[in-house]
Amino acid sequence: MTRTATAKLRVYPALAGLGLIGALALGRPELAAVAAPFAVFVGIGLALAHRPELRIFAELERQRQLEGRHVGVELEVAATRPVERLELLLELPEGLEAEEPNPRLIRLAGDEGHSFEIPLRCVHWGAHDVGQVVWRARDAFGLVTFEGSSGEQAWLKVYPRGEALRDVLRPLETQAFSGNQVARTRGEGIEFADLRPFTPGDRVRRVNWRATARRGAPWVNEAHPERNADVVIFLDTFAEARKAGAGTLDLGVRAAATLASHYLKEKDRVGLVSFGGVLNWLTVSSGITQLYRVVDSLLDAQIVLSYAWKDLDVIPARTLPPRALVIALSPLLDERAIGALMDLRARGFDLAVLELSPFPFIEEDLSETGQLALRLWRLRREAMRSRYAALGVAIVEWREDVPITAVVEEVRGFRRHARVVRA
Amino acid sequence: MGALALAMLAVALVSRSGPGLGWGVAALGGEYAVWFAEQGSALDELTPAYAAAFILVAELGLWSIEPRVEAWSDPELPFRRLAYVVVTCAGAAAVAALVLVLAAAGGGGGAVLEAAGIAAVIGALALLGVLVHRSASEVDSRA
Repeated sequence: MTRTATAKLRVYPALAGLGLIGALALGRPELAAVAAPFAVFVGIGLALAHRPELRIFAELERQRQLEGRHVGVELEVAATRPVERLELLLELPEGLEAEEPNPRLIRLAGDEGHSFEIPLRCVHWGAHDVGQVVWRARDAFGLVTFEGSSGEQAWLKVYPRGEALRDVLRPLETQAFSGNQVARTRGEGIEFADLRPFTPGDRVRRVNWRATARRGAPWVNEAHPERNADVVIFLDTFAEARKAGAGTLDLGVRAAATLASHYLKEKDRVGLVSFGGVLNWLTVSSGITQLYRVVDSLLDAQIVLSYAWKDLDVIPARTLPPRALVIALSPLLDERAIGALMDLRARGFDLAVLELSPFPFIEEDLSETGQLALRLWRLRREAMRSRYAALGVAIVEWREDVPITAVVEEVRGFRRHARVVRA
Repeated sequence: MGALALAMLAVALVSRSGPGLGWGVAALGGEYAVWFAEQGSALDELTPAYAAAFILVAELGLWSIEPRVEAWSDPELPFRRLAYVVVTCAGAAAVAALVLVLAAAGGGGGAVLEAAGIAAVIGALALLGVLVHRSASEVDSRA
């Protein structure tokens, strides 16, 4: 706690001194009479000024919330002695906004508590530290100011808001467990695949009687089984383009949360790799617990500047299971991320790239040189996209104002044609 | 001198300067002292009113230049503060009246009484200085 003298404590003694000295010099008791109240005021005020014994508690209504929604903070203040004037400020990080006035100026009577709620709006995803309260108290005579901070750390996890997604990308290969993806293999299932001659051991109900009657020998239906798939979301955190509080990383994190949520609902296994200055990964798993793990891991995603060269070798092998669909979310600004994605494709992974377009987040230079540089940069990025397309990687540029559904549809369209080429 | 004092007060209010406000009030006091020089040796019976007025100017001036933070406040706080200013002015008038009564009861003075008065003033100013110094900026690591 800090104690500081106010302007009054500097001015009043000076006025008292001047008045008393003037009274002595001029021999006029009137000047002493006019100066004495200032001295008496300071003497009584300092005698009565005590350090405030405050108890401040800040409690969050909940510890998790979605972006764009509200959460309340209950603030309780109590003091053993009266505090004439107490200013309270709930320190809020960027990403949280108070919906009601903050700070507040109140008066506390002795042994009286005061509680009020401050509703917060979760503006931006992330893990936010809420709970620190900065206070400033003044004594009744306004001579001394006490300042301090109080409260315990309380974490509020704001999860990125998901977007509506009609359908997700279908992986080329599926896994052995049952799920909602129609596998390319043949076995027990609902989707018709082919006809073949009856072999001993086949079930009678699979016999296709029409084909049997036409060919004079038993033929059975084959189906595509429903299997689950492994999906790895690859988030590039080497670099981002940012402007006015929004950036490509925000786009990527929201897309990652949306995709993870949809795939996990379809009983697929989802993993996460945050590839950047700080490497973070989650091995593939399924269920609601994995969804919480993924979004909690996404809250730690941040751009950390690093010059160390990194490639796929730093990622544990079990994080990238074979035959997994890898969906990369990247602004393709860093050579390391670009190289890692090429490497993934070269290793035979089923890869799709959602390019988080940096163009809406850059300040355009209107000079001739600036415009020329921008055109050259666009051309370089087009050439890079062509390289990915030539390798059979679906790559689609995604701008902030375009819904993710449209982007996923575009990727699916590319992959439909790519599949024909592979056959 | 009165015009000078008012100008100093105005400048102090505009520039939000506490020391400037102090000098403005001191200048007003100086004008009061100059007025004595013209009045002779009779005690001024309106001194308590002047004391209340001086402290009123100081209180209202310091209130207006206080650093402010945009904050929601309890609606009763300004009224409480106004009441406190009124009580302070009444107290100042009472203290001034008491000093005048003591001064009048002191009679002609004399060297001993004058020396005692000087010592009392010096002692009071020293005590005030010590109190102010102790109450100045301090960081309490306990809280």
